[in-house]
Amino acid sequence: MNKSIMVATMLAALIPGLAIAGDSPAPYNAKAYLIWPKNGATIKGGKFWARFGVRNMGIAPAGIEKKFTGHHHLVIDAELPPFDEEIPADRNHLHYGKGYSEGRIKLPPGKHTLQLVFADHDHIVHNPPVFSEKITIYVPAN
Amino acid sequence: MKTMKTSIALAAFIIGGAAVAGDSPAPKNAYLYIGWPNDGEVIRNNNFRVWFGLRNMGIAPAGTEKPMTGHHHLIVDAPLPPMDEEIPADKNHLHFGKGQTETRITLPSGTHTLQLLLGDLDHVPHGPPLVSQKKTITVK
Repeated sequence: MNKSIMVATMLAALIPGLAIAGDSPAPYNAKAYLIWPKNGATIKGGKFWARFGVRNMGIAPAGIEKKFTGHHHLVIDAELPPFDEEIPADRNHLHYGKGYSEGRIKLPPGKHTLQLVFADHDHIVHNPPVFSEKITIYVPAN
Repeated sequence: MKTMKTSIALAAFIIGGAAVAGDSPAPKNAYLYIGWPNDGEVIRNNNFRVWFGLRNMGIAPAGTEKPMTGHHHLIVDAPLPPMDEEIPADKNHLHFGKGQTETRITLPSGTHTLQLLLGDLDHVPHGPPLVSQKKTITVK
């Protein structure tokens, strides 16, 4: 009896958490990360190729529904968007819906943050969500 | 006249060459490369990660019909396969049909070569084919 109450409580605690993310599953060991730039990098001129890494999952273009796949989104100078909605598409949220694994970025002088978010065919994050650490880079003034 | 003959011969050669590849087009500026290991790398662990790089083109899982996409194939210790056929699937030709952009491989001690070849939905190289530089590494 006690055990089943415990299990029920645990499930109740877990389910609302799960409901915050999308419906597409991600493997428990999936990981998204920025291969380059590295946290703390200084980039003269502010133009660079950002290289996207995803581990234990695959890439599929937007609109292609295939288990354990998704596409990259690069969040620039912004917080993570809500996990239960489509990732916005604007200059702070770049979509790589063609299945790209790198993107050419141009940033003005100053301090910037970059964070990768992997999302499913509908641009909604997986469950559990797969996103990278947020890194900070510096573009020196000319 | 001689120049013209040369041009015709060259054109015929180029067209002939193009016909040897598959039918799926690739963007002109697409570029395939191995992000890691570097050429000449000495690796002290016989189980290591290989990063696949693709620029100006997208990845799609095998079987996905989407123009200007493909998936990675890693050729280990082998020459390039024919460009107009399905890339073989064996221990020298590793397929990443789930859309992976990296892998972990185990190789015995010694010198090895690694090369990437992009394949289309049917595992046939694009026209023109996307082939990376071949890298030679040493596993200690």
